[in-house]
Formats: sequence, C-alpha cells, structure tokens
Amino acid sequence: MRLYEFEGKRLFKQFNIPTPEGRLAATPDEVYDIVKTAGPSVLKSQVLTGGRGKAGGIKLADGPNEARTYAQELFKLKIKGFPVERLLIEPKLDIAHEYYIGVTIDRANYKIVIIASGEGGVDIEETAVKTPEKIVRKSYSVHEQLYGFDALSISRKIGIPNELSKQGMAIVQNLYKLFKAYDAKMVEINPLVLTKDGKLIAADSRISLDDDALFRHPYLKEQGIEMRHEEGELTPREMKATEWEIPYLDLDGDIGMFPGGAGFGIMGNDFIHYYGGQPANFMDSGGGPTPERLAQMLVLLDENPQVKAIFGARFGGISRCDDFAKGVIMFLKNHGLSKPMVMRMTGNMWEEGVRLFEEAKRENPKLMEKIEFHGIETPIEEISKRAVELARIEGRR
Amino acid sequence: MAILVDKKSKVIVQGITGGAGKFHCERMIAYGTNIVGGTSPGKGGMKVFDKPVFDSVEECVEQLGADTSVIFLPAQFVKEATIEAIRAGIKFLVVVPEHIPIQDMLVVREEAVKHGATVIGGNTAGIITPGEANLGIMPDIAFTPGRVGTVSRSGSITYYVADTLTRTGYGETTCVGLGGDPVLGSTFAEILWKFEQDKKTKAVVMTGEIGGVYEEQACDTIRKMKTPVLAMIGGIYAPPGKRMGHAGAIVEGKMGTAQEKLDALSSAGAHACKTFEDIPKTLKKLGV
Repeated sequence: MRLYEFEGKRLFKQFNIPTPEGRLAATPDEVYDIVKTAGPSVLKSQVLTGGRGKAGGIKLADGPNEARTYAQELFKLKIKGFPVERLLIEPKLDIAHEYYIGVTIDRANYKIVIIASGEGGVDIEETAVKTPEKIVRKSYSVHEQLYGFDALSISRKIGIPNELSKQGMAIVQNLYKLFKAYDAKMVEINPLVLTKDGKLIAADSRISLDDDALFRHPYLKEQGIEMRHEEGELTPREMKATEWEIPYLDLDGDIGMFPGGAGFGIMGNDFIHYYGGQPANFMDSGGGPTPERLAQMLVLLDENPQVKAIFGARFGGISRCDDFAKGVIMFLKNHGLSKPMVMRMTGNMWEEGVRLFEEAKRENPKLMEKIEFHGIETPIEEISKRAVELARIEGRR
Repeated sequence: MAILVDKKSKVIVQGITGGAGKFHCERMIAYGTNIVGGTSPGKGGMKVFDKPVFDSVEECVEQLGADTSVIFLPAQFVKEATIEAIRAGIKFLVVVPEHIPIQDMLVVREEAVKHGATVIGGNTAGIITPGEANLGIMPDIAFTPGRVGTVSRSGSITYYVADTLTRTGYGETTCVGLGGDPVLGSTFAEILWKFEQDKKTKAVVMTGEIGGVYEEQACDTIRKMKTPVLAMIGGIYAPPGKRMGHAGAIVEGKMGTAQEKLDALSSAGAHACKTFEDIPKTLKKLGV
C-alpha cells in the first residue's frame, strides 16, 4: 500500500526525521488562506504516483493570489489517471544540496537494503544504472539493528558535511527503524535537502507498506491510513468488481476471461493472444472463492457489451470443482447467460462438480445450452482456441 | 527417486483440526501420503482420521519421528509455527497459507538456513511426488509417476503442466509449488539444483510469471545444470504497471517483465515454451 506524501511525512515526524511544516488543503480558498499567513510556499499535489513534478503537479507561489490561481489549475489536473484532490502546502526551502536515502527489501537475497546517494532529487534508478559508483548500498539481515557507526558511515559516504554528520546518522537510523516498525516494503527520502542555512530536511516522502502486515499496525488506522485504491481511475466495471472484492481489470478485447487462479489468469491471457484473440479482461478468483463470488464474476462478464464469448477454466486445487459448479449454476439460474461460453473443469472434487451440472440440466435442459463443457480430456489450448473462434463467429453477427 | 518428499517422509499437519487442514489431510492420506499426525495447541490427545494430535511439534518429532510438516494456519501465525517446527527438527516445510507478512518470511528464511531446513511457500499449492506423497492442496488427477520435474510459482499452472506431462506419457518425478507470495521460502535456483542431483529427473519444467526476481536469479544455476530446463513465463501480454492477481505479479518499473525473464532464461540455456503443448514437443526434441 502506497502512502501519500503527507501521510509519509507524519510517520517521519513520529520517528524524528525533520520535515517542513506543511498543511493540507482541498480547495483554492483554503490554499489562499494558508499562503496568506505562511508566505512563499510550494504547492504539492497529493497523488499515489511518481513523476508529479514532470506532470506539472508542483508549483511555487510567492503570494496568496498566485497560490489560488495555481491551486485552481492543480485541482483540475489528473496525474497518470489520479485526480488531484489535496495539496500539501509547505514553506519554500532554500536548497544547497539534495541527497537520496531509501530502505527496501532485496527479495532475491532475503535482506533489508539501505540505498543512499549524494545525488538526490532525481530518478535514483537512472543514477543506479548510469553511475553506480554514486550509490551506496548496504544489506542487513532482518534481525540486525543499524548501528550508529554504520549509519554515520553512510551519511559520510554520500557527502553530508561533517558538522551535520550526527543529524545525518540519526536520519538514516530512524528511517531504518521506521521501515522495520511499520512493515514497509520501501521508504524513501528523495530529496533529503541541505538548506542554505545548514539544516537537513526530508523534502519528500515515498512509503509503500506491506498490505499483509497492516493488521498489526492499528496506529496507522488511527491516523486514517487505511487500504486504498492504487491504480488510478477505475472503469465502472472495475469499480463494481472492487466493491465485490474481485481482482479485475478491463482490457481492450472481446473474450471474457473466467480463468480460475491468478497464475493461469495471467497465462491464459497470453494463450488467447497466441491464438489470435484479445481478452476483454483479467480476473483472479483468488484461493477458494465462494459460489456467490463466482456467480458475480460471471455477471461482470455477461453484462459487458464488449464481451462476445466467455472462456472458463477451473483446475480445482484449493478452489474446488463442486464450489465452482455451484457458482456457475447459481449464475445461470439467477442471471442467465447471454453469450456463448466454452469451459473446462477438472481437479479436486470434479466428479461432484459434474454431478451438480448434470442435476441442474435434468431440472432445466435449457440451462446449459450456451455452454460447451469439457473435462480433463480436452487440453486447455483447445479451449483457448475455441474461445477465440466463438468470439469471431459472434462478432460477425 | 524424487526430491524433498517421498513415501518415507513422516509428515505432520500443523493446524490439523481446522477446516482446510482437515479437508486436505483426508485427501493427503487417501493419496497414500505417510501422514503420522498433526498439531493443534490445546487439542493434544485428540485424533483426526485416526492420526494423533499433539499440542506441539516437539512432541510429534519425539513420539512420531516427524521430519516434514504441512502448514494450514492463518497467515499471522505462520512465522511462529514455522520457527517452532524448524527448531523442533523438521527439515521440510510446506507453507500453504497466503498473505504472509514479508518481514515474517525474512525471519523464517533465516531460521531455515540456520538449521538446514527447506521451506516452500507461502501461498504454495504444495508438492507432490506422484505415487508416493502429496503435500498441500494439489489435485491428484493431474499427476502420474514419471521422469520430468516441475517447479512453478502458481498452483494452477503446476496442474496444467503436470496434466500435459501425464497425458503425453512423460509423467513427473516431483512437482514443486514455490508459491505466489512476494517473498518465498525457496527460490527457483535452489529447487532446480535439487532436481539436477536427482538421477530420475531427466528434465525440469520451470514456470514463472511477471514480477519479482526469482526467475532471473535462476540463470546461473541453469548454466551449471546438465539436466535440461524448459521455461514458461506468464504475462507476456500483461498490461505494464497493472497488478494482476498474485501479490508477486506486478511489473516494477523495468524489472521483471515476462519477456525479459524469458530472454534471460533462454540465454542461460533454458528452452522457452509458449504453451503447455510446447512442453512435450520440446522434450521429444531433446530426447527425454
């Protein structure tokens, strides 16, 4: 979960990392009032994406009138699909130098890594590629504390002046502590600013937390830092899916994808492309979905006018075939299928799944008439090809 | 032969009295897996499917000689459960639950390395040595004893690959699910190397997906291997920057796109496959 800059800075403050005195504003008038008392300020768009400077999301204003005009523009802005709803107003800093300090996880080596550089304020990935000698990198086991001497050495190596080395050391140490304390995946100060009057200040924050560890951080919830949507703007269908807690993405094609687990959800989309088709969506049923959830997934596909045919697959593992059959039957009875569908079902409890379908068909012979049903005897490639074919036939009508 | 688990493995289920634990325990026993018992703190003395339940893993090791554990517990208890098992002397652990905090997995990994134990998961479908043992949630129907090993991030992909190998007569030695979580107990490189040392495994199929670093990391190992490696990567057509399902499967900037992974693996000597049907075709060409 990514945090907004102002949220990250609240956590910085809690860990004694110096930040500018900022205030949040949600309207141009609020911006006017703040700048009127604060003087020359920076207006910073609060969005969950990088690159907002390049997108024009940051403005310098000398006085309140100028600030209001800028704010009116900024509140109309969308940065990579994220509308600007709040601005963080901070006093303008007189910058002498910019540094970079970040902490993240090296997944391949199972370590926590501190990355620091004397050249902050820029794209650190670019620096790492072009001038790797300008990057300081140190790895630690999850049990290790970051000793003062070690933090001091990092501060010294990136060129923080000697008279500020103690502050530099404390910032590095505290950032590392924050990273561990809140189960972060990444924390960055970029830039850490050295002001002309000789102070170190975290001018920006980028924090990404581990969603799976939020349960043990009630303080965040108290601070209003809760799960949020992080993918920019949603289509109406994606919004509905989010409401139903279904991982779902709209794509450009015409084949509705109902593929079972995430792994084959991703690969199944490739298969459709290989056979000349275009998926209309990506969807993941997650481990062990309920029949209700499965029925909702089919509703999403059936109600999408872009979808010409539906591809269904279930290889029952933790998601069992009997539950799968219940979900499909629930959908057919309550909603009905208006598009051709080709489907393959096998795996755990497949006999029971087949029995449920047979039973439903006996009750209503028309229930399954739009479904071409296959079991383990048909390779999934054939199902993918058939879905492409069905969409083509349907598209010609 | 096989890797990590066979009919002699003495397997316990941590969380044997829970819903998922019980359901899959019954399946594992029905398959012929040597399940010797399980744990459920506070429920020691009970029996589940005639297998003794203990409060602690220590008792399972002392009284049953357990050496392997399958964990069916909520994610927040996984760290403690795995450390308990590793310190009690369990050498191989299968972590089925998903959404385990990353820092917990870092701790688990350190503990495993320190004690010479192997952990697979979290969010793994498990591991199966066909005809001998099935640990986790994998459906029996896909598997048959044979000569190809598989290792995958995803459960469903494991089933499709095995299904293909079974249908075409190759069968499987062992199928390993690495898991779909972002930080995993074992890496592709480590599992591939175990297959390299298994005489019965004539080829290995590895299937990965966009995101993460474990696929690229396997390249050095693949270069050293004599056993041929076939590689498939999901997400070639995934829209960039979008999160697709697995927590691990998000393209982070320039890192870990499916095509880059496939190119890296190919240049290390792996044989790239696009669909499951390409697997038997490639095996035939290689004379496996």
